Amino acid sequence: MSDDKQAPEMSEEARAALERLILGLADGKRLLGVRYSDWLLGAPSLESGIAMSSMCQDEWGHARLLYAMLKEFGVDPVRVEHERPAEEYGNPDSLDGPFSDWAGAVAAMLLMDGALTVALEAFGEGKFELARSRVPKMIAEEEFHHDLGAAWFRRFASSTEEARARLQAAATSELPRILAWLDPRDGPSQAMTEAGLMPPGEELHRRFADKVGPFLDLLGVDIASIEPDRSDWDEGRGRGPGAPDAEALERARGDRNRMLLVE
Amino acid sequence: MRENVYDVFARKERGEPLRHIGYVDAMDAELARVYAWKTYDEERWFEMCVVPRKEIIPVNRTDGPFAANALGGGHE
Repeated sequence: MSDDKQAPEMSEEARAALERLILGLADGKRLLGVRYSDWLLGAPSLESGIAMSSMCQDEWGHARLLYAMLKEFGVDPVRVEHERPAEEYGNPDSLDGPFSDWAGAVAAMLLMDGALTVALEAFGEGKFELARSRVPKMIAEEEFHHDLGAAWFRRFASSTEEARARLQAAATSELPRILAWLDPRDGPSQAMTEAGLMPPGEELHRRFADKVGPFLDLLGVDIASIEPDRSDWDEGRGRGPGAPDAEALERARGDRNRMLLVE
Repeated sequence: MRENVYDVFARKERGEPLRHIGYVDAMDAELARVYAWKTYDEERWFEMCVVPRKEIIPVNRTDGPFAANALGGGHE
């Protein structure tokens, strides 16, 4: 498209907002990969462990592509990937700690991964040229993440009361912050919409509700009744006030492995 | 949770015959298709299908993995 945008052509406000979005998506995918990796062994079957392994690789590949987009802004991707402290991470809040159990992993596959995909897909439809060219392949890979989450979600929803209760607890605890992450109602979010880089947050919320609402209905949860939790919103990072735990951060940055690098 | 065996068939090019590339254990068809795609993803497949093993009817053998599905006639 002739009006596709590159970073240098944007207002300072839009550039800063876009950088926040890219970091949020990339950090989200890197942390989601870490959390999925906890289930390579110990998932309910060998096949589900293999699927988690494949999804880890997808998420880390997507994160790498997203971090690389930051070169457009003059940001050093090596520092961003390997040297930032936890409090600079922009991942959605519910990835700060490990999944509670397999029900938590299933909820995250459908909801957290789903929210990242809704945001990423919208980013790929906007005017940022690099996103328009790189996002479609990522979205194609995400289809199977959704399918795995959906299949397991339906399984839990039609299973025992305990299984349903665990899934419901995991889902409802994640949703308020996920909804805030999609629709933060803050300055950077508005700046991106005005620059044609992202649709309004309300639209992302609507797309997400359309995608996951029918699954939540199976648990008797009406997504329309869940209020976004924007308390203590950190506008600089586009998320709530916390940060990823130290163990996940070490893995996300590759601290131990980098000690072995000979440069 | 009871799992069933699903046999996985795939081809790399349009027009090639589907060939048997392996199997997965899954609780239902929905999970079987995801497991198959994620388990056998080293190749760039043009088409992949899964078939519940219990639906495969042996024609000339009374032994092997499909023996349990043998129909009444023609076998011991």
